Amino acid sequence: MGGKKKKSFIDKKRSATFTLVARDSASSSDPLSSNRVFVRTDNHYDYSVPGFLDSDEEQDNRHDESSIFADAVEESGARYAGRSNGSGLPEEVRKEILELGLPDDGYNYLMHLREIRNQGGGSAYYENPRARFDLVPLDVKAYDASRVRLNSDAVKDDEPGVDTIYKVASKSAPVRVQKAIDPDVIRLLDDSDLSRFGSDVEDLEEDFVLMANQPDGEEDENDDVQVKKSGADEEAVYERESDSEVDDVVQQRVRRPLDDAFDEAFKEYLSSDEDNGPIFGDENQAVLEEKLKGALKDFNLKDSVQEEVYKAPADSVKDDQESAQVIRKCTEYAQKYLNESEGEEREVVLVSESSDESEMWDCETIVSTYSNLDNHPAKIEAPGNPKRRLPPKSIPFPGELGAGKDVITLGGKEMLPVNYLPQRRKIMEGLVREKLGSAEKPKKVVGEESKEEKKERKVALKNERREARRAKKELKGLYKSETQRAQKAVAVTGPSSIHLM
Amino acid sequence: MAAAVGYGAMKPTKLGVEESHETLNRIRITLSSRDVKNLEKVCADLVKGAKDKQLRIKGPVRIPTKVLHITTRKSPCGEGTNTWDRFEFRIHKRVIDLISSPDVVKQITSINIEPGVEVEVTIQDV
Repeated sequence: MGGKKKKSFIDKKRSATFTLVARDSASSSDPLSSNRVFVRTDNHYDYSVPGFLDSDEEQDNRHDESSIFADAVEESGARYAGRSNGSGLPEEVRKEILELGLPDDGYNYLMHLREIRNQGGGSAYYENPRARFDLVPLDVKAYDASRVRLNSDAVKDDEPGVDTIYKVASKSAPVRVQKAIDPDVIRLLDDSDLSRFGSDVEDLEEDFVLMANQPDGEEDENDDVQVKKSGADEEAVYERESDSEVDDVVQQRVRRPLDDAFDEAFKEYLSSDEDNGPIFGDENQAVLEEKLKGALKDFNLKDSVQEEVYKAPADSVKDDQESAQVIRKCTEYAQKYLNESEGEEREVVLVSESSDESEMWDCETIVSTYSNLDNHPAKIEAPGNPKRRLPPKSIPFPGELGAGKDVITLGGKEMLPVNYLPQRRKIMEGLVREKLGSAEKPKKVVGEESKEEKKERKVALKNERREARRAKKELKGLYKSETQRAQKAVAVTGPSSIHLM
Repeated sequence: MAAAVGYGAMKPTKLGVEESHETLNRIRITLSSRDVKNLEKVCADLVKGAKDKQLRIKGPVRIPTKVLHITTRKSPCGEGTNTWDRFEFRIHKRVIDLISSPDVVKQITSINIEPGVEVEVTIQDV
């Protein structure tokens, strides 16, 4: 171009930029106004276009006290129609801030202050709907003294009912003891019936030992003891009834017609005593024995009724039975055996070994004296030479090349040890014969190698090669799964240039 | 000449009587969008509206499209063939220059609005 830049149509520094945005529906949304409004997007408020925006929009943009920009520090020149003060806050707010002693720099410090409405001091009061203030807290123990009976010398008057605590106590107030929170816990803790500790015989009191040891006149004192003991836990004491008071409670109950009927039946039961005597008493033992014997007569169990002496079944066997004879014989043999062994210790028996030359022991005879457990009958051969599995050391291994026999060489695609394991003789011999094919034969046959021999030799060679190939294929197939796995591992970790398959 | 300076430079042939009393401003409307069809539609409407009102208008200038590329791997993990997604984001921009009073422009722009088209108006006196 080279020329001066021509005068642009719009000078950005002296223009106002507006963007059309969707209307914020919080503000006035009458159906006449459109969905979108123009919002000023540049910052130089010097240039104002009064006609472009609506009047109320302009108000919204700049003069709204509650907008978030209302108290922002204005940039160059705060010359607006609606403002008369320099700090940007309304008068009341400024006055309040000044009263509180906060600096008057245009910042609304009242935002950080909070009215105190409760008398709770620094903390706020939160209504807890589940708080119950009529319950006694847990660190206070309340005992139910309503059933405490006072001693007679503590009681001044002879009025009935005065032996309760209420008459004597100077101050009594109804207090509800706080229970445990969880009803399940209450149920578990409130073992008032204690049915799992109860005995089957129900007509015993729980503290029958105490009661039996004490004379009857002192039963009242048991109540006090009971109540004091039960007041030791924090449960609602007044709900538990001490067991010695059960009788009292029962008697105080209103008698129902069923009770009368029960009493009648009980009397009848007691009166008809002859048949209902105790079954397992001692006087009926003989009768029972008779009955049993009569019933079991058929089974020839005369001695089923046990006596005091303990008897094993063998003892009760009579001599005329077979089992008795067998048992007797067994015992005799056992005793004889026992005596025999004892007798042997006393006598020294000398056994002479026959070292006669005439007795020729040969292998077969000796072997026949062995049992088949040790000796598997086969022809015994001389042990072979294990070293002949490997080729002779004069022939170097195909991969050796100067490495000693301590070094395991790795070769091939899979980098597996080469020629480390003793391979099958056939393969090795085949390989070896391949190598030495040319070396051996001319040594053997110098001149006359007829066509048949040549053919024979070649055929043999071919066979060996075929065998070698087959063996190699077999080995390759064996390791295919391994290479697949290795390939997978390498593909993830190693560079992609490694291909194992 | 004072009147001409006060009211802005204008061609006397194109003005109606009423417009001579109002201040004229240079107005540049920039429209940008990701969607060409809507954008062209809005442009055409604006131009048509302005021409109806006999305003001086400089037709929609097409700013070269900005293409933003995002190239990411398709796979959420690193496994598999390394395939890549190539996303692009095209922004089209048109500029229309007018010389008129701001009320007229407000009328025009309030009528037709397509979704996805962003409108920016720059006003300058003269």
